[in-house]
Amino acid sequence: MIAQSTAFKRTALALLCGLVVIALAMLTLPGKSYSAQDRDQLLAGASSQHPAGTDALGRDRMIRVASAFLLSLAGAMLAAAATTLAAAAVGTLSAFSPATLGRFAMLICDVFLALPWLFLLMMVRSALPLTTSPAHSAAVTFLVLAALGWPACARAVYRGARQLRNAEWMLQARATGLRSTQMLRHILPNLMPLLLPQFLISIPAFIIAEANLGALGLGIGEPLPSWGGMLLELDNSALLMRTAWVYLPIGLLILILLLLEAVAAEV
Amino acid sequence: MKAAARLLRRLARAFVVVALVVIGTTFLVRSAPGYLSDAREMDARYGNAARAELSAEAAKSGSLKQLLQTEITGWTHGDLGISRQYEVPVAELIAPRLAVTGSLLLRSIVAAWLLALCAALVSSAGRRPSLLWQSPSTLLLAVPTAAMATLCMVSDHGGPVLVMTLLVAARDFKFLDRMLQKAWREPHLLQARAQGLSTPQLVLAHILPSIASQMLALATLSIVTALSALVPIEVIFSVPGLGQLAWSAAMNRDLPVLLAITMIMAVAVTLAGMPADRTGEWQGA
Repeated sequence: MIAQSTAFKRTALALLCGLVVIALAMLTLPGKSYSAQDRDQLLAGASSQHPAGTDALGRDRMIRVASAFLLSLAGAMLAAAATTLAAAAVGTLSAFSPATLGRFAMLICDVFLALPWLFLLMMVRSALPLTTSPAHSAAVTFLVLAALGWPACARAVYRGARQLRNAEWMLQARATGLRSTQMLRHILPNLMPLLLPQFLISIPAFIIAEANLGALGLGIGEPLPSWGGMLLELDNSALLMRTAWVYLPIGLLILILLLLEAVAAEV
Repeated sequence: MKAAARLLRRLARAFVVVALVVIGTTFLVRSAPGYLSDAREMDARYGNAARAELSAEAAKSGSLKQLLQTEITGWTHGDLGISRQYEVPVAELIAPRLAVTGSLLLRSIVAAWLLALCAALVSSAGRRPSLLWQSPSTLLLAVPTAAMATLCMVSDHGGPVLVMTLLVAARDFKFLDRMLQKAWREPHLLQARAQGLSTPQLVLAHILPSIASQMLALATLSIVTALSALVPIEVIFSVPGLGQLAWSAAMNRDLPVLLAITMIMAVAVTLAGMPADRTGEWQGA
């Protein structure tokens, strides 16, 4: 059963890497850009020039999907890394500091967790200036995701670190006079089984959050391509009648999320 | 006596959490770089002088202390402040929408629990994890709420209740299935099975009571999941509820409305989490 699950994970990871390579290869093709417009082919169907057709502004849909995939994956991975690092720092320091300080840190986590995540994101994202540049909006979206995603993970790390603090080997290490910095070298590897799944789970969660925000008009700004922005195309019923390629972003997004969840799944 | 003291402590903690949420939200929104910008500044009909006046007016009521004071005064008067966008008391905006959102949440959560529990009972009673039940749940969790709602709109099938039900049921099923599978493997249940107790008897008399506390904790998670999905669902299906109002307030930087909805959500989540904590205490006692 475990061997089957590992093979499944490896296949999912290989497929994901394959998709990244294909997306990168597509973006390096000469003359292809996510913002390049072909004014003669607005809302065109599939052709040799545009394999998945074009959008309402004549931009190649395939190139935009590839860019959105790479952008969201890179952004989500960076945000997940930042979240995991923040959670590791807060959780570990709280567990090894005096009990009152630890309880206060967990109270702050409760405050963050008392609000639904998307609601909090929407609130912060909407309070940005009206004239935010697309690159800035993308950076801010993932920064906000990272800034708001750590509390749940920090609580799990706190619990794990508390258990480590009371472990016999830790008591012995303290008794033999190991300094806090020296102990950290032993604590962090022991927290890895907790941190790695949190990191992997955060990636699809952040991609979904970005897509939801984009669909509400609060995600990455145009002309940068994003899943959320492309999902908005599904609102246009006239466009849906003309070409089935409009469904490409949603189909690919679901596939990528399934692959990411398979990679993050428990053994 | 001890239980009353514990309950009081929990209530005090819940109150502190809600108060900190309100202060934090005000601080967050106030310190955001776009707080002082007004949507009217983008309107070409306004001249430079009018825009400068709008900025000066916004800056005047800008301090955090003043903002909090205004909000607290609004709450003590019972009108929850005045909406910046609609210029009417926030309570008037929220009251009719509360019923709409409450009804949507209640119907969806009840339907989701029934669906998830039935599916988990059938799935967990089998000898091996059933792909038939687990695949749809995995697939549903991989679809962003906004996409699911848009696809329902496009295909003209299903409405807000269905989307929220599917989302909550998919998430609950994952946990319920794992809980039930663990419960079925308990030695006393294996023995009861061997002695010939029927499955309904086992489920009602042994399994459900043994996972009751975990189910309560999961119920809290269901509420949080449903509240998270509320905004995209209500916006896409044009449901006149709290989620739509929150989205509109966020788009128009209407802080009094945002704060009131934030407080309602924080109270709902914090109170929903309390029974789960209490059960843990009773079991630990």
